[in-house]
Amino acid sequence: MIIELNDAAIVGQIRSGDPQAEAELFRRMAPRIRLYGLRHLRHEHAADDLTQQVLITTLEALRAGRLREPEKLASFVLGTCRMTVLDLRRGAQRKERLLEQFGADLLPPAPAPGPHLDHEQLARCVQDLKERERAVVIMTFYDEQTSADVSTFLGVSEANVRVIRHRAIHQLRDCMGVAA
Amino acid sequence: MTCSNPIDAAVLADYWLAALAKSDEEAVEEHLFTCDECGVRLRETIALAEGVHELACQGSLIMVVSDAFVKRATEQGLHVREYAPPRSGSVECTVSAEDDFLIGRLTADLSGAKRVDLCFCDGQGVERLRLPDIPFHSEAGGVTFQQSITYAKAAPSETMIARLVTFDEAGGESLLGEYTFNHTRTLPGPGAW
Repeated sequence: MIIELNDAAIVGQIRSGDPQAEAELFRRMAPRIRLYGLRHLRHEHAADDLTQQVLITTLEALRAGRLREPEKLASFVLGTCRMTVLDLRRGAQRKERLLEQFGADLLPPAPAPGPHLDHEQLARCVQDLKERERAVVIMTFYDEQTSADVSTFLGVSEANVRVIRHRAIHQLRDCMGVAA
Repeated sequence: MTCSNPIDAAVLADYWLAALAKSDEEAVEEHLFTCDECGVRLRETIALAEGVHELACQGSLIMVVSDAFVKRATEQGLHVREYAPPRSGSVECTVSAEDDFLIGRLTADLSGAKRVDLCFCDGQGVERLRLPDIPFHSEAGGVTFQQSITYAKAAPSETMIARLVTFDEAGGESLLGEYTFNHTRTLPGPGAW
C-alpha cells in the first residue's frame, strides 16, 4: 500500500536529507506552480522557468529548515511564486545564481501534456451557442476584451456579461463532455 | 482525493481572464495550491479558452462581430476582406487564398428594434440559416457579421441573400433590409455542390 505523505511529513523528511521526499515535493508542487506561472506570465517557457526557480528556492529553504510551520508548505510555495513573479517583473536575475548553486540535476519534471481538445467538436459547440453567448465568448477569448468592452458592444451591464459568459462556459463544457 | 469544495469552471475562467477581484483571486490561488482536482479543471478551462481563440483565428464561424474584432484582426496582420452591399442592393464578391476573414457590413435603421435576427437565404430567397436575437446597437446604423472563410473558399459561384428582420409587439416579423452577395468562385474547385 502506498501512503501519500502529507506536506508536513515531506518538509520533515527533506530536512533530514531524504531525496525521495524532494522528488515528491517536485511531483506535487511543479504542476501547481506551472499553472500559477501560466496565469501570471502567459507564456509556457516563462511558466517553466518560474517552476524551476520556485522549486529551487523552496528546496533551499526546506533544507535549511527555514519553514517554521511545515503544515503550511503550500502557502509557502504560493508566497514564493508571488515573490518570484514580482522579482521576474523587476528583471531580477536570481535564477542563474541558484542554478549555479544547485546544478541542473534539480530540474522539475516535464509538465504533463494539456487536456486533449476535439477542435471539430468545439467548433460545433461554439456554433450551437446563442448569438450573444457566442459573441461574449469570442470577444473574451479572441479579442481579449474586458467585460466593460463587451458590455458596450452588447448594450448590457458588465454583470450581465459575466452571467452570459458563465452560462456559455458551462454550456461549452457540457457540449465537450466535461463536468462543470 | 475528491475536492469537497470545487471551484466552478466559470470562476476558473474568470481567474484565467484576470477578471476576479483581488481577494477572490487570492482565495482561488490558495485553493489551487492544495487541490489538484481543481487544477485539472483549470487546465481544461485554459484548453477551452485556447481552443476558442484558435477557432476564432480560423475565421470559420458565422457570427455577428464588433468593429473591434475586425480592427484587431487587421492589426494582427490578418487579411480581412469586407463587402458592404447597399440596402436592397447587391455586391459582386469573391475570396482569395490569402484571405483570413470575410466580413459583411449591412446598413439598416435599427432604432426602435427590440430584437433583430440575421437570416441567410439562397439565391431563390429560401432561408437556409438564421442567427436569432443578434447583438446590435439601435444607434449603430447596421450590423457587421463574419461569414465562414472556409465555406467561402470552397463554395462555387452562387448568390447569397442576407436579411435583417425585426419583430413587432405581437411577434410579427418585418424586414429591416435585404442584401445580395453575388459570389464568384476564383479558387480552383467544383463548379457546383
